[in-house]
Order: sequence, then C-alpha cells, then structure tokens
Amino acid sequence: MSLLAARGVTKRFGGVTALDGVELEAQPGRTLGLLGANGSGKSTLSRIIAGELAADAGRVLLDGREVAHASPQEAAARGIVIAHQHPSLAPDLPVWENVFLGAERCTRGGFVDRRESRRAARAILGEFGASLDLEQPAGSLSAAGQQVVEIARALSRKPRLLILDEPTAALTATEVARLFDAVRRLTSAGVGVVFISHRLQEVEEICDDILVLRNGRHVGSWATAGRLDERRILELMTGDPEAALRPPARRTVGEPALRLEGVRAGRVRGVDLEIKRGEIVGLAGLQGQGQEELLETVAGFRRLEGGAIVHRGERVAPGLPLDMIRRGVCLVPNDRHRQGLFVDESVGENLGYVRVCLERRPWRLPLAELRALAEAAIRRLLIKTDGPGQPVATLSGGNQQKVVIGKWLATEVGVLLLSDPTKGVDIHARSEIYATLGDLAARGSAVLVFASDVQELLAHCDRILVMYEGRVVDELAGAAMSEDRVMAAAFGRAA
Amino acid sequence: MTGGLWTGLRRGGLAPALAMLVVAVALNAWLQPGFFGRASLESNIATFAPTILACVAQAIVVLSGELDLSLGAGVSLINCVLASLPTDAVGGPAGVAAVALALALALGAANGLLVAYAGLPSLVATFATGAVWFGLALAIMPQPGGEVAAALGDLYGTDLAGLPVPLLIVAVAMLGWALLGRHRLGRRLVAVGSSRASAFQAGIPVRRVKLLAYLAAWALVFLSALSISSQTLSGDAQLGQGYTLTSVAAVVIGGISLAGGRGSPWGALAGALVLGIIANIIYFAGIPSIWQEFFKGLVIVAALAFMVLEQRQRRLA
Repeated sequence: MSLLAARGVTKRFGGVTALDGVELEAQPGRTLGLLGANGSGKSTLSRIIAGELAADAGRVLLDGREVAHASPQEAAARGIVIAHQHPSLAPDLPVWENVFLGAERCTRGGFVDRRESRRAARAILGEFGASLDLEQPAGSLSAAGQQVVEIARALSRKPRLLILDEPTAALTATEVARLFDAVRRLTSAGVGVVFISHRLQEVEEICDDILVLRNGRHVGSWATAGRLDERRILELMTGDPEAALRPPARRTVGEPALRLEGVRAGRVRGVDLEIKRGEIVGLAGLQGQGQEELLETVAGFRRLEGGAIVHRGERVAPGLPLDMIRRGVCLVPNDRHRQGLFVDESVGENLGYVRVCLERRPWRLPLAELRALAEAAIRRLLIKTDGPGQPVATLSGGNQQKVVIGKWLATEVGVLLLSDPTKGVDIHARSEIYATLGDLAARGSAVLVFASDVQELLAHCDRILVMYEGRVVDELAGAAMSEDRVMAAAFGRAA
Repeated sequence: MTGGLWTGLRRGGLAPALAMLVVAVALNAWLQPGFFGRASLESNIATFAPTILACVAQAIVVLSGELDLSLGAGVSLINCVLASLPTDAVGGPAGVAAVALALALALGAANGLLVAYAGLPSLVATFATGAVWFGLALAIMPQPGGEVAAALGDLYGTDLAGLPVPLLIVAVAMLGWALLGRHRLGRRLVAVGSSRASAFQAGIPVRRVKLLAYLAAWALVFLSALSISSQTLSGDAQLGQGYTLTSVAAVVIGGISLAGGRGSPWGALAGALVLGIIANIIYFAGIPSIWQEFFKGLVIVAALAFMVLEQRQRRLA
C-alpha cells in the first residue's frame, strides 16, 4: 500500500485550472521525482498535500485512509512536511528559532527551551556541514543559508512524507550532496520523499520513481531504475521535443554600447569591461563575487564608488535608475518578486508601467495603447496567461520572469542587464528566455547576463567574463569557452 | 532584535532609545533640582505609569504585525465604566476592577476578531472601533463626573514592600512580557509579525496568535485605565484620547518596527519614559503653557528622526 496517494486532485485559481484530476503515489522508503515545466502544477500539488491549499475536487489518502487536512499544522501532525522553494522563514528571528518555528522545543509550561533548541539546531545544521551563526536573523542569511534552514526545519519534524520543492536551486554542489545523503538516510528508514527539481541530473541521481506533469495533468509516471530518458521527459513536459533546441537568431556585433573603467561599488573592486551592440556577454563566477552589485551599479540602483561608466561614448554618473532607463540601460534584477514585479498587480499593469513612467504626461496615455503594448509583449515572449488582466502572482515563475523582461520592451532597450534570470525557471521557459535575449541582440541590443549555471552561459553567450572577489579574472570567447576554465577562474585560479 | 531586553541591547535596537532616555533624564535633573528625590520619583512614576502601560500594550500589537488605534478610547471607556459603577453592587473595589478587566478583554477580543478572523486591516478596523468605544464612553458619561471607588485611589498612592504601587504595576506588566516573550506563544507572536506567510507555512495558527496579541495588549490597557482612574478618581470620556498616538510614537522611539516582528516592548517602555520626561522638561524649562504642545511636538519629531537615521546607519553598516 502506498504511503500517500492523491486521487483525481483538481484545483482552479480563478479561471485557470492549475491541476486537473492528478494522480500521485508516494511509497515508503522511495523517492518520487515530480517533474514538469513551470506552471505545470508541481508546487500547487505539493501545497495541497501539505495542507496549505484546499483542493477543489479529489482525495488525498494517507496509509489508504482519506485525510482532509485543513492547515499545515494538521498535515505536519500526520507526518507530512514540506520544505518550500521560497523559504518560509521569519526574517527577524534567529536561525535556531526558525529551525523549530511552529514546533518549538519547550520545557514544561510551554517556555522555549533555548539551550536544547540551540543544541538540536546545531546538530541538524551540522549534518549539512553548514556553519551558520545560530543567532543571526534568518533574513540576513544568503539564499543558500535560508534554504538550508528551511530544509533543516523540515527534517527536524521527523516526517513520514517529506516534500522537497526545488530545494537545490540555491545550494552549492557540496550542500546538494549533503542533502542527498540526508534523503537517503530518510528513505532507508522508511520515509517517503517527493523531490521537485528542474535539474534532471539530480533527479536521475536521487529518485526511484518519477511523475511528469504538463499543464496540470498527469502525463506519465514510471520507476526510473537509475536512468532517465531525457528526451522522453522533455517531450512529456513540453509536448514538443524540439522546443529546447530552436536555432538562435543570426547576430552581427556592432559598435560598443557600454564600457566600464575600474568600476567600484560594494563588493565590486575595480571592473573593466566592454560590451558591443548585438553581443550576449555572460558574467560567471561563484555566487556573491560582486556580479549582482556590478549590474545594480550600472543600472543606477547603487552608488558608483569609483571608476567610470561610459555609455555610447559618453561618461554617465547614474544617480537614479530612471537616469539609466532613459538611456535604455535596463536591469532584470535578481529578486523578481521584490524588485522585478509589482506582485499584487496584473500582468498588463506590470508590462505597462515602464511606458507610463517614461511618459511626460502619463494621464494622456490611451489605455488601449497600454493594452496593445501588453498584448504584444505577451505574444512576443510567449507568456502563458489568460490575458493582461490576470494577477501576475498567479503566473508560474518562468512566466513571471518573462513579464519582468517584457516590461522593458516598452522602451528602446540598448543595454539589457540580467541578474540570474533563470533562477527557479524550468528548461523550457529558460530556452524561451534565451531565445528572447538572442532576438533582442539580433535587433542591436547589448546583453550582459549573470547566471549561476555555467552550462547555460556556455550555451548562449558570445563571451564569458568570470568574476572572483569583485574583479573580472578571466575572459573566454569562442573555442576557449569551457566549463573547466570557467570553474578554475571562478575559484581564483585563472590561467 | 526579537523581543528580549538583552537581545535588544546586544543587537542595537534598544540602544538609541536608552541614549535618548539618559539625555532626557540628565536634562530633567538639571532643570528640576530634587528630580532624584523620592517624592519626585514617586510622583513621576505615578504620572507615567498609565502611559507606559498603554505604550507597552501597543508594542505587543505592533510586534505581531498589527496596530491598535483604539487603545486611548478604550482607556476612556473603561474609565467611564469604573466611574459609573455602583461599587457596593459589584462587591467592592475588587469587583469594580474585575468588571473593568472583563470589559478590557472583551474590547481586545473584538479588535482581535475583526483583524485576525474577519481579516480587516487593523489600521482602519481599530480606528473604527476606537470611535465606537469613544461613543459608548460619551453615552455613559456625557460630562466628566462620576466617582471611582476611593479605595483604588488610596491603594495607588501607597507603598507595598517599600515600593510605590504604580511602579509595581509597571513591573508586573514587564514581568508578564518577560514570561510571554520566552514562551512558545510569545515567540510565535513575533514570528507572525515578522512574516505572516512564513509563520502560516511553518504551521503556526496565525489567526489565534493575532487574537492572543490583542488580548495580551488589552490586559495592559486594563491596567492603564485602572491606574489613570485611580489618579483622577472620576470619569471622563476624553481621558485617554492622547494615549493612542503617544503609544505609536513611543513604539517608534523604542526601536520597534511598525512592520512588525522587530523590536522589544522594553523599547516602548523607554520610549514612554522619554515622552513623559520631555513633557517634564518643557514644563520646568519655563516655556509658556501655550507653547508646550508645540515644543513637545518638535522634540518628538527630533526623536523620531534620530531613530530613523540611526536605523539607516545600522542597515548600511
């Protein structure tokens, strides 16, 4: 008998059907890989199983008996625990409190046992080899640190069924290995695990069974026996095996669009670089080597502390993002929820506000024009939505990111800067995003993109600059572009 | 940063409020010889206690991520009820106090249910309930008058174990927070204020926690109303009017984030003392009474600016 089964689970958000009669079975002692493009319903399904959302139809069975948990605490009481893709931490509370948030270790009378909590938190985090400061407020941790705390919390609950929703997106290779060790320990103790990831390599490594969703429907499930047929999975996920392999648009490299001379800001300690029109340049390196700050400085988000930014031969001193936007220098920021979107607004409003901001008399703008603008961006970027009126928060991650890029289409994009644009975005949407970048470059934009995934840069960039401790330590182009050389430079061992 | 006195000091949120307090005390002592005398301290604590209690009440609600703009009107309403109750009919002064406590908890529960369960924004919901409380207070007591049981006034003016009763009341309130802040419930209250969505996903019953925050706060509002009534010994529907915004100012001066989750009620205590002493200083500086409110406002603006600038400095560091 399966540990947990979902039978005919259906969920609608407004007019959008997120899940349509989905079946899922998780066995004790096995890891089930849940695959699907962004927006295919993976997160919705796992949130229903974990009691965070109520299904519109269908049943969830635990040990063969129907359960209807009305809240996360009821699900947790039955041993169903989820680690979210976006960590659910209380940012102001210290790390150790966050590990046990909602299931505090208490002395008699319900007072929090600080000594025991700290000890247990240290032990669980130690399993990851994570040396986090237990007293640090969780909100000030790096994305990886927050993810580790989120996972540690799930593990501390002694789950019978553990759902890991894209746990590895923010983690380093070592942390992923530790996580997999922990998962194997759990499964050998009879725990069932549901693992969601866009990285097929990881799924192949850790999963015993897989289940593929497309557009909220169950399109296939089987035991992997240690091997994945990538082509079959891609075909099931997208319904189109060639989608990921579309040929890039032809581009010609033109005159210099942007030159940086000894730029310093925060962690950026003197960067020289030049990008030309029609070029896609990748910024590589480990996380936190100054790539984000560099892009933010050029976009006018941060104060330039030294050096010069030369745009089309003219030295500029950005005081506000608007100064750079008027020059056509646009940033797709790292945190799309907080910096890239107005998450409470509709798709159309998000796509239109750049146009509104750049207008001298915005009240004169005909609404029809804004609507047309939004519809054009939706078509051009293949944004999967009901229409401009849909709340942007109900889109999948990949489609939200397309909206962030799409908002800049309202202006003449001369230089497009992107900070890790494919974080939490599936392969399909990822290739569509890079196709859009290729398209922009073919029309004469210069593109500078930082991505944490080296493969992605190797596949799509004309040149790659590797940053280490705030400086560009290596530049690769053409035949010299290899993962080995990027990684060597990323660890400060440039040739 | 998370509610305790010690953590507050170490993480720096409380330090500016304490610095301001030291400066204010020094100025007051300079302008008012005998400030540190027992009589002066006793009269000061008796005057400040009701405000302090209202400020700490506000701090608890703010920590949970909400706001209560009906505190002041609540104090007035409780005061009017205290002043209009026939003491003998409810079993003496203790009975009067019990009725007042029940009323305070009912008012707090009403706010908590509207905000947590009905999902109304607390800013507007408590502004509205505040108008209702004020309306009720006026209906009970259209003109100031009535009589609060004299035994309460006598008790408020005495010493217990060598300590003035107002000081003991404040101490009990702070001890209450010290316990709550170490309890699972208090930690959850701060977690909900820090991030409501995260707390929900972590399995915390968010609505119950918010209701609890209002109930805890209104237990303090009860103490505040009881204290001020024991001083005035009569009823006045306007009595608590100033408390609401004073409490919000004290919360900000005390380094508590209005967004919730960050800060400590100890900061609100310090903030309340700063505001009280500012009033003293202005009085003893010989500023004409017409201008006192004006200067008080200026000093509060300066104190708030100091807090905000200091926080910005710390964030950049």
